[in-house]
Amino acid sequence: MLGWVFRPVVQRLTYRRWAYMVIGAVLIVPFTVASVLVVPPLLNVLLPAPVGQELLVIAGAVIVVVLGSSAAASFIPAARVVEGTAARELLGHGVPEHAVKRATNLEARWKTCQWLLVHILIGTFVSFFTLFVPLALVLSFAAPFTGLWLQVGTHRFTVPTGWQSVWVPVVSVIAALALVHLVNFAGWLLTRLSQILLSPTPADRLEELRIRTEKLAERNRLARELHDSVGHALSVVTIQASAAGRVLDTDPQFAHKALSAIEEAARNALADLDHVLGLLREDVPTTTPQHTMADVSQLLDTMRQAGVQVNAEIAGDLPGLPFAVSTEAYRIVQECLTNALRHAGKVPVTLIVNAAGDSLEVEAANPVPANTATTQGGRGIKGMRERVTVLRGQIQAGPDAGMFRVRARIPLRNGGA
Amino acid sequence: MTTRVLLVDDEELIRAGLRAIIDVEPDLEVVGEAADGVEVLPLVNKLEPDVVLMDVRMPTVDGIQATRHILDRAAEPPKIIVVTTFENDDYVYDALIAGASGFLLKRARPAEIVRAIRVVVAGDSLLFPAAIRMLAANRGDARRPGLREAGLTEREEEVLRLMATGLSNVEISEQLFVGIQTVKTHVGNILAKLHARDRTQAVITAYESGFVTPG
Repeated sequence: MLGWVFRPVVQRLTYRRWAYMVIGAVLIVPFTVASVLVVPPLLNVLLPAPVGQELLVIAGAVIVVVLGSSAAASFIPAARVVEGTAARELLGHGVPEHAVKRATNLEARWKTCQWLLVHILIGTFVSFFTLFVPLALVLSFAAPFTGLWLQVGTHRFTVPTGWQSVWVPVVSVIAALALVHLVNFAGWLLTRLSQILLSPTPADRLEELRIRTEKLAERNRLARELHDSVGHALSVVTIQASAAGRVLDTDPQFAHKALSAIEEAARNALADLDHVLGLLREDVPTTTPQHTMADVSQLLDTMRQAGVQVNAEIAGDLPGLPFAVSTEAYRIVQECLTNALRHAGKVPVTLIVNAAGDSLEVEAANPVPANTATTQGGRGIKGMRERVTVLRGQIQAGPDAGMFRVRARIPLRNGGA
Repeated sequence: MTTRVLLVDDEELIRAGLRAIIDVEPDLEVVGEAADGVEVLPLVNKLEPDVVLMDVRMPTVDGIQATRHILDRAAEPPKIIVVTTFENDDYVYDALIAGASGFLLKRARPAEIVRAIRVVVAGDSLLFPAAIRMLAANRGDARRPGLREAGLTEREEEVLRLMATGLSNVEISEQLFVGIQTVKTHVGNILAKLHARDRTQAVITAYESGFVTPG
């Protein structure tokens, strides 16, 4: 019994919960200050004289405005992150992990709004007692001697002096204990409530599932790519080397051919490995500065050193391009040149960049060897298409009369193109 | 008498390598090559090979389908060995269930490759029993009936268990203190009762029905 009464006093969680309640009250301070300043003069103008000056009417209007503006603020997606993080840190692990994620759908935002209002109401209620009870407790020990317990403004709570006022500190201690229990209970209540209001909505779960599925598909795709490219090449290397070893004396011509095949297969495997490792690294958010079209001549130099013959025609104000357009165009050029090198070898690539008009045009074309299967483009092209679409642009990529051609067009001005 | 081998793989370099490795052996001979599962059946009927080395993954008709095809349709079905890049490949076990007599990794040494062909042709022992057990264990739950109704005698069940561990006929005869001819008779009866084409198929049936538990 005694344990039940005093445990909340000594457990740390109570005080963390308390902090969360106080935050709830603090949240509305700016709204309260603003509406106290704005609402009374406004009521004076909007309502007839006696009604507009009624204290209850003013108080009611202030409360409505404060709660209304808080509710409106809760619809900012980041509000959920702040509220959720605070709840998880201070209310403990009963709060769902999802609470700290941005509210991305309407249902989640509505629930965040409800959560914020509940937090504010309970927080303000608890904070109100927090202001008075501890003070009353401290002063209560002096009250039997001085006859004065508490003074709020001009209002004085007086008690008789002497033994007959012993009840004052006793009642104050009980009130303080009751407050601790109130805080504890409110914290428990909010934790339970968070499991309803801050847990993932069906839309959130669907989104999570989609992301997980995508990741899994991506991993499978990489596994398959490694299997098909590097696994295949190493099989060729192993078998050709085994065979060459066996027939070295009897059929030196075969051994000679095998060595060339081994060399070629190993080289291709390295290129494929490079590509797959690149894809793996791509998922890691990079902190390196992003390249823009201003760096394109450097890129062309690098590719030329790698043996790609680039015939480039570049026109227009490249450094003046919008950042998003410029980085995307750079990536397109880079992707096209590396793809050409990877799939077609050291072939001549024609590159046309024109930034002179209302839109940026990028065109890259390279001949494809006749015997290679021309695809409609892999993930690289898909990624380009997605990003170009976001920029309201268009992109075409595919085989075209013995060439592989990528043609992208991104508008530079609003309403252009 | 030479063993006639047909190579099926979509990669020419793999076929050329295998051919060089196999043709060196006096008792083995590569009689033909195919680049895809679709070409195999007519070639089998025309060339009548004893063994087909079959790549698992091929563009149009993969090794599993081609295996099923040959075993269903060929006049004189050859033994089939599926060839794979990776051991940890679901397709390999599928191919064994489809009726292949064994499998080979592309990274196998030349000596292992030629040994595999000889073992499968001779049929008196199991190719890579440990790997087959592992594949069966990974697939564990694909149970099919077929052993209870087969009516094996107690002795035949004992022989089947030893076959699954990979013992050859000679080793089984030593273990059971019986003559080699007796073992051969038992094995023949087991294959007949299980409707199994060969040793591998009998062992696969034993795993699949839960008669032998891989583990």
